[in-house]
Amino acid sequence: MNARAGRTRIALAAVVALAGAVGSGPAVAAPLAHREVLPNGIVLLVAERPAVPIVAVRLLTRAGAVFDPEDRAGLAHLTSALLTRGTAKRTGPEIDSAIEFVGGSLEAAAGRDSLTVALSVQKKDFSLGLDLLSEVVLSPTFPAAEVTRKVAEIQAAIQRSNEDPGTLAARALSRLVYPSHPYGRPVEGTRESVARLTRDDVVKFYARQARPDATVVAVVGAVTVDEARREITARLGSWARPSDPPPSITPPTVAMTPHEETIKRELTQSTLMFGRRAVRQTEPDYFPLSVASYVLGGGSTSRLYTRVRDESGLAYAVYSWVSPARYGAAFAVSAQTRTAEVPKVVVMIREELARMTREPVSERELALAKQYLIGSFPFRLDTSSKVADFLAAIEDQGLGLDYADRYKERIGRVTIRDVQDVATKYFPPASFSLVTVGEIK
Amino acid sequence: MRIVVALLSIVLLLAASAAPAADRVVASTLDNGLRVLLLEDHRSPIVSFQVWYRVGSRDEHRGATGIAHFLEHLMFKGTPARGPKQFARLVEENGGQDNAFTSQDVTSYFVDIAADKIDLVIELEADRMQNLLLDPKEINAEREVVIEERRTRTEDDPSGFLGEEVGSIAFKAHPYGSPIIGWMEDIKRITPAEIRAFYKTYYVPNNAIVVAVGDFRAPAVLEKIQKTFGRIPRAKTPPPVLAIEPMQNGERRVIVKKEAELPVVYMAWHVPNHRANDAPALEVLSTILSGGRASRLYRDLVYQRQLALEAGGDYSYFALDPNLFWFWATPMPGQTAETLEAELAKHMERLKTEPVTDEELARAKNQIESAFVFQEDSVHRRAALLARFELIGGYVQKDSFMTKIRAVTAADLTRVAGAWFAPERKSVGVLLPKPR
Repeated sequence: MNARAGRTRIALAAVVALAGAVGSGPAVAAPLAHREVLPNGIVLLVAERPAVPIVAVRLLTRAGAVFDPEDRAGLAHLTSALLTRGTAKRTGPEIDSAIEFVGGSLEAAAGRDSLTVALSVQKKDFSLGLDLLSEVVLSPTFPAAEVTRKVAEIQAAIQRSNEDPGTLAARALSRLVYPSHPYGRPVEGTRESVARLTRDDVVKFYARQARPDATVVAVVGAVTVDEARREITARLGSWARPSDPPPSITPPTVAMTPHEETIKRELTQSTLMFGRRAVRQTEPDYFPLSVASYVLGGGSTSRLYTRVRDESGLAYAVYSWVSPARYGAAFAVSAQTRTAEVPKVVVMIREELARMTREPVSERELALAKQYLIGSFPFRLDTSSKVADFLAAIEDQGLGLDYADRYKERIGRVTIRDVQDVATKYFPPASFSLVTVGEIK
Repeated sequence: MRIVVALLSIVLLLAASAAPAADRVVASTLDNGLRVLLLEDHRSPIVSFQVWYRVGSRDEHRGATGIAHFLEHLMFKGTPARGPKQFARLVEENGGQDNAFTSQDVTSYFVDIAADKIDLVIELEADRMQNLLLDPKEINAEREVVIEERRTRTEDDPSGFLGEEVGSIAFKAHPYGSPIIGWMEDIKRITPAEIRAFYKTYYVPNNAIVVAVGDFRAPAVLEKIQKTFGRIPRAKTPPPVLAIEPMQNGERRVIVKKEAELPVVYMAWHVPNHRANDAPALEVLSTILSGGRASRLYRDLVYQRQLALEAGGDYSYFALDPNLFWFWATPMPGQTAETLEAELAKHMERLKTEPVTDEELARAKNQIESAFVFQEDSVHRRAALLARFELIGGYVQKDSFMTKIRAVTAADLTRVAGAWFAPERKSVGVLLPKPR
């Protein structure tokens, strides 16, 4: 019953966004993790955190929604939801009972690029946890009854999510920002696309996509490198690497044409979401863009927060963010305001975007953004689960274990000129699509 | 919203420690009454510094609901020494993260920051404990922000709206019946003078707990706290909350019709809090009902019979006054709220007559204990946990909590179900979707 309060920041969803800041430690920091490639191609990452007797494991395999066939949106999502619903040895309820009996958790979920199986257990239950994780990954049976059950559940969840204006806006915006691109389709699919999915689709998809040479395993917590290697190899070492290369895709590069879309709902407030294509972490522009986004709408000192919220009282939430993924990236701005003030807030956001392109940011704004992005990093790695998420994400996104240090160095080098250059490229207001959800006439 | 909120509080609830941490806490009470808890944790060069005020919506009066939360927003609006945006700016330029929340019982502020910046945070927090500007112009601008927040959380969120309605019918006398964010009319009306008086009354050292966990030396931090917070004079003891909710004698019900995709059912019973001997059993009961996919409500209603998209329950062990035990369910398309209400009630009846299995009992206890251990991984959570236990009578209670949980028997569960879940003591809320 704790109502979250006033200044709550948006928790940026994408784990990869975590990759967006890095340590204020000494220049030559100890490596974040041990990395090695097992004989079957699995990339194993291990970070020892002995103080608390828990272990977090993340297994990522290249089986995200980006690989869904065009008429099968939601296939990766359905597949992930079924992984824990039955294996060669145990039924779904047996898996649930086994992991929950020791107070651990075992969850599988698909994102845009990858499918993740996440295990958290006390150290004493590490062995049991890994047994379950490896069963789920190596011998899922996808029972027909469970497929039927899960399809109905996902359809209902999609229906329910239509109550949430933020979800509606984000879905519509993805479609506008990524035309003809898999990222334009919702990860969970639509009620119609999910209805078409069959057990056969799931079995084939998993067999094709989940393979050791497209898999990362991050083990973090009260374990040593030797122990992690031994335990992971004992369970996943037999996972055979297929002879053909892993499936790859080249999403079409259809340019985005700015559009405006309105979704009518009976609400007292309207949700605005602006978006356009941007760049991912492998592009040099990513770092100045991160700084520019922070100045514009990153925190509670940002230009948008100051003008729209503090000075005008027009919104509780107003933010901007960069959302990078393996096959594309977006930049977005969102706000929620009372319906009568929608035009005013739209103008304010457009004006602030344009001002970023026109005028250099101040020394002070630049310094604050850089200090925050660099200095806040330790808090993104302050639990074993967060470290495991981070390690798996940077490996999966091909950023390298030195990404943390590189990020810090690149952010540190960003100049006022760089910020204005990226703003000129990415912030022209006319280049954005806009979705509005609410009681708009 | 209710569901998210409920899950959050479960996490908080489970947030105690199996690790032998309490003996390393440096606890002290300054001459002005400020309670200070410091725990060194040298794993990372970071610190979580938190100030918990013993004031929440529970301390509000009719006509001025939401004032505790409104004031929380204004705590970021500056002091004579540091202007309106200075707090956030100083924290952010030092790579820190700050935020706050208001609950029924407390208002909590935190800064998580590099350990070598702790002196700065101590100065900022001590400054705003006594010198808040509360400029009427800032108050009026922030009022609009709070109104927008209410729209997001309540007016435009069918579950949040229903939860507020059920809370308000469940309590006739106790302020737990009013929403934390306040009724819209009150948010619009509350005056700067009332906010100032509220601040002067409750934001005093003898009504606050300072907790810090992180990479520091406790004696040095305590000295700094004495030099800053220690200078703030002790004030009058804030007024106690006197209201006692009378025994409910008859079911209460509210039906909300709102644009929504699926119905929602809430059921809430009045139950005792941590002070009662039944509290550990209620905590275990809540876990058996809704802790995970092997729990009763999930396995039966969501999994086996597919009657519900979601179902769960929640108990507030840490509530300062007796509060509610919640049940909720979202029917699957094609199922009705009526069916789910009947099914939830059946589960409750079954608990009164049929003992839970040994496996269920052991699982629930293990889940509670395991969550304690996981909590130790984060300095932020460690600090919040100490504060939670301090609020209910002393951080050392953290050490006996698991012992009490471990002692719960199947017979205890049958007994508390019978004692507290009578049909005439429940409040029911139903959301019926209005077609678009």
